[in-house]
Amino acid sequence: MLMLNSIDELLTHIKDVQLDVIELSGESLMKMSSFMEKNSLEIDDDISTALQYQDIITQQLSATIEAIESMQKSIDIFSHAYKNDESLAEESVVKLKAKLEATLQDAKDKKSRFSGKSSELNVEEEIEFF
Amino acid sequence: MPLVIFIDDSETALASTRMVTGSMPIEVKQYTEAQVALAEIKAGMTPDLIITDLNMPVMNGFEFLKALREVPATKRTPTLMLTTETKPELKQQGKALGLTGWIVKPFNPAQLKQAITRVLRLPA
Repeated sequence: MLMLNSIDELLTHIKDVQLDVIELSGESLMKMSSFMEKNSLEIDDDISTALQYQDIITQQLSATIEAIESMQKSIDIFSHAYKNDESLAEESVVKLKAKLEATLQDAKDKKSRFSGKSSELNVEEEIEFF
Repeated sequence: MPLVIFIDDSETALASTRMVTGSMPIEVKQYTEAQVALAEIKAGMTPDLIITDLNMPVMNGFEFLKALREVPATKRTPTLMLTTETKPELKQQGKALGLTGWIVKPFNPAQLKQAITRVLRLPA
């Protein structure tokens, strides 16, 4: 149980760091774009891509924050069951493992979904019209 | 000038679209929340083109699109999805909801301009 408490604290810390990264990277790029707009600087492909990467970073980190919150919830349910009836612990461990695995898979799917074209640098630029 | 509205919960994404479209002969309005844009549309705003993100809190791009199509004035307003999502099934869902097209982030500035020019039939 003590170990689970430590894991829970570690997850909370990781979540807090990620929230700070989202905020700081957003602020940083907003300052850069405000400067460019104020000085009427033209945006080129590279700057446009850099600005859009921030959006992708935010989505990626938000997806892992969601996964962390889901894991914390599963750990909490397990801890509660364990406290109430230690004989249920074994069954609860199996359920916890399944939930953590499902959460991890969901987070991995989101990593791929929210990457846009950033992970395929050579992909041909294309807008699809229906 | 034609009115183009952009909806994206990311301020930096909106900043990049603002800078890209700054020199175009269009009026641009931007929203970080789809439900706010929808409320203005219901109150009488009639955009000529809507460019929206998909994954947004409170109201996502598909929910917005469904609600948009229920407003008589915007039943057929051209709408482009600008998103990190690349899944074909999501594109199909968008198409079924009457989307005009799908742009994957990060977008190329010249191609975004071309898409707007094409949909609004602006002089090239």
